[in-house]
Amino acid sequence: MNRKIKLSAAIAALALAGAGSILVGCSTPGGKGAAATPKSALVERGGAELWAENCGHCHNSRSLDSLSDAQWEVAAMHMRVRANLTAQEHDKILAFLKSAN
Amino acid sequence: MKSRKSIVAVSLLAAATMGMAQEQADKEVVTIPKEQYQKLLDEHRMLVEEMKEMKAFKAKFEESRAKALTQQADTDQALDQLTKDTRDAKALAKEALPGTSKLLLTGYGTAGFNSQERGGDRKFYATFNPLLVWKLSDKLLFEGEFEAQLEGGGTSLALEMAQLSYVANDYVTIGAGKFLNPMNYFVERQHMAWVNKLPDKPLAVYDGLLPETQVGMQVRGGVPVGSTKFGYALYAANASALNVDTGTFAPEELGTTTFDNFDNVGRHIAVGGRIGFLPFPELEVGYGFQFSDVAPPQNGDTVNAFLQSVDLSYVRDSATLKGVVNFKAQWAWSHIGGFVYDPGAAIGGPFVFDNSRSGGYVQVAYRPSRVEGPVLKNFEPVFRYDMLNQAKTPTGVDETRYTLGLNYWLGPMSVVKAAYVFDQQNGPNADRRNTVELQFATGF
Repeated sequence: MNRKIKLSAAIAALALAGAGSILVGCSTPGGKGAAATPKSALVERGGAELWAENCGHCHNSRSLDSLSDAQWEVAAMHMRVRANLTAQEHDKILAFLKSAN
Repeated sequence: MKSRKSIVAVSLLAAATMGMAQEQADKEVVTIPKEQYQKLLDEHRMLVEEMKEMKAFKAKFEESRAKALTQQADTDQALDQLTKDTRDAKALAKEALPGTSKLLLTGYGTAGFNSQERGGDRKFYATFNPLLVWKLSDKLLFEGEFEAQLEGGGTSLALEMAQLSYVANDYVTIGAGKFLNPMNYFVERQHMAWVNKLPDKPLAVYDGLLPETQVGMQVRGGVPVGSTKFGYALYAANASALNVDTGTFAPEELGTTTFDNFDNVGRHIAVGGRIGFLPFPELEVGYGFQFSDVAPPQNGDTVNAFLQSVDLSYVRDSATLKGVVNFKAQWAWSHIGGFVYDPGAAIGGPFVFDNSRSGGYVQVAYRPSRVEGPVLKNFEPVFRYDMLNQAKTPTGVDETRYTLGLNYWLGPMSVVKAAYVFDQQNGPNADRRNTVELQFATGF
């Protein structure tokens, strides 16, 4: 049983580590690559749609005027980390939040 | 034949005669009286003068029109500049407000009341979770959260989170510190009181089979793949400690682990992660795992601990249903390797077992947010089924609950919740405690 568990865990860890390595290898250094991000129907949505979809997955969305532009910058980065947003999703959502504020 | 020649000759003669007559008419001179000629000449001169005046007027008109257009352009430019200046001034004013630099104070708080049957808890309570988020640069983010709650005769204060994150590139963020457990979907995305649809938290996935926080390092990010998206997290953290002491732990806790092992008793490192997949925006499915060796504080015996979790989230804003359907489900498995508990027979041992437990929840909520009217759209009925299965151990208890809840949203982040929990338990120390739960929760 122990061997089975260790083997399963090792395979899962290796799979995730491998995926991580591939991602590191194929991503653009410096995090400026919104344009270099692979095209996707998901990320080709507008900022308003991405905002509604990504926020709505977990919670109600804040009122747009509840935070200043500077605060939205912080909140968007916080959610980028917490909700695994891509760079392009983050940029589009933030642009929408600032334009609507 | 002769008559044909005569016809052609006559036709030619007629044509020649007509051409000569036309030429005569073109060269004809018309004679008019001198007075009439003078009148026509005067009229011609007058027309020329009028034409000159009209040309002059037209030139002046064009000039003034051009001037007006230039002035309009200047006015438009000035208005644009004014608008821009106003916007800049507003932005400056916003920036000048306290807490609007790169620091965001957010979080949530609750106030509530629980009443359990059969001599259980009956009390009011309050909690406060301030979260400080500090954007140090475009790549660096710090998140710190405290959890303050009333406990016994005082207030307990716990460090819920203290993490520094570095955005390495578009797809990779590296974090270190104390962070919410990435392999546990409910903890990371749903446990906040204003997000959680019910006053209490589901069995097994919270305060049960899976850790709530980790102290260690993680790598995470999101990756679009075609029309879909993946989210991933991989971490290394302090391992849990095995609970074996019959003097400290209740019988049903033997063979479980203490997740808050900040001293890292046993010196083991846990490795875990989660991968989430979004085939379309409304749906996310995920798989999480954690593996480590664990040891009790008192000795160096080691067994392995393997935790797994699958989760599903579906949220759809439906015009047909006139509202938002929110479906969540998560199931967790915990396996702790075989160990000899209570070898001194303090509570009737020794017990030898490997601890395999499982549990999770299924929850559905519906909010008729598209219904007309100011009141009905704010209600949200909720149903949850959750269970914890640990009766396979000699001391464990199975628990199953059905919860009916009704929420009323006062705003996007403020909600009043009411729920009734139907509780069933099986096992050596089983009990049944239905509960009435009321809670006000707000995010800020």
